[in-house]
Amino acid sequence: MDAEKDERTLDALLSDAARTYRVPPEPPLDAIWSQVESLAFVTAPARQGRFAWRTLGLAMAASLVIGVAVGRVSARGGNVPPVAAVAASKPVVMSPVSQAKTAAEPYQRATEEFLGSTALLLAALPRTGSGDRTSTLLPEQAAQLLTTTRLLLDSPVGANPRMKALLQDLELVLAQVARLQPRRESAELTMISQTLEDRDLVPRIRSAVTDLSAFDY
Amino acid sequence: MPRAAIASSSGDADDERSLIARAVVGDRVAARKLYDTHAPRVHRLTYRFCGDADLAADLTQDVFVLVFRELPKFRGESAFSTWLHRVAVTVSLNAMRKVKRLREREADLDEARHHEHESGDVDPDLRNRVAAAIDALPEGLRLALVMHTIEGYTHAEVASALGIAEGTSKARVFEARARLRKSLGDYLEEL
Repeated sequence: MDAEKDERTLDALLSDAARTYRVPPEPPLDAIWSQVESLAFVTAPARQGRFAWRTLGLAMAASLVIGVAVGRVSARGGNVPPVAAVAASKPVVMSPVSQAKTAAEPYQRATEEFLGSTALLLAALPRTGSGDRTSTLLPEQAAQLLTTTRLLLDSPVGANPRMKALLQDLELVLAQVARLQPRRESAELTMISQTLEDRDLVPRIRSAVTDLSAFDY
Repeated sequence: MPRAAIASSSGDADDERSLIARAVVGDRVAARKLYDTHAPRVHRLTYRFCGDADLAADLTQDVFVLVFRELPKFRGESAFSTWLHRVAVTVSLNAMRKVKRLREREADLDEARHHEHESGDVDPDLRNRVAAAIDALPEGLRLALVMHTIEGYTHAEVASALGIAEGTSKARVFEARARLRKSLGDYLEEL
């Protein structure tokens, strides 16, 4: 009986709350409309420009990563002797510093490749409001990159606080892209754009690529 | 039983489809008609969520700017109002998570509640306790309760707007009521 009475009382209180809880004031509909009209129908190019900058930034980051990677591969390629020559040569005694550097190289290369692929993937995302649809391949690629992110976080790369923070933020964005659903794509793309902007990810990818050789794993 | 808050008849839907088609190609008169039809409801919902008049106006603006920009992508798989409310919820939640000042304003709002809506037979102190108890609910429970019980959305509408199953909406409202009963326990016993 008490439970029923409580339930009735709660119903009455919630019914009262419907009239009294955060009762909206009269909305300034005309003022809001004038803003909506000017933003949605007149200055759309300005907003598109904002996202175009994001795309441009990501493309630049991707180019930078690819450029650095290609440069390093070419540089290594010029110095690498044929396999037979290596086998025939005397064993090389490496200093501890050189050994550490050699051990870190695969991680460094994997990180470069990861950052390049991620920048390319983010640049390939449709701009919000562009009307373009996301390729079904992007969520799959994002899922693969997400796995790489987690592997890198568990590797010596993750020991670098700055790189760790970047990887964790990229992990969040990649998880969002991996979960993109066609029916809710628009809202999700908006959230991804916000995450990219809020966390300043494009400049951080660029900066990470530039600093990559300086990281001490 | 809550009324359906955002449902529309088939005749209205036909008119709305025509308005949407015109708005997509930049017909501002059609866009304004869509806005006039739905803006009061969207504003009401955003205000219930955030309790701040300026922020509710900003959120309403953001919702419609986004909706009109995204309108070419709207394929009519759900009702326009359902899609619109889903956008409204997403925009509101994103903004509310960002706006730290909301928490600071809670005290002001509590104070304001003392001075408004004094009519009715519920004790003002109890009314404030109910409001505070609703505010203290976890976000998921609060949104479902506010949309369903306070604003009169059906569970199907709440589910669609929040991106959850209808059963989850029912469970959240049930849980929210249970928590309110618990937090208002002393008061309920006295009544």
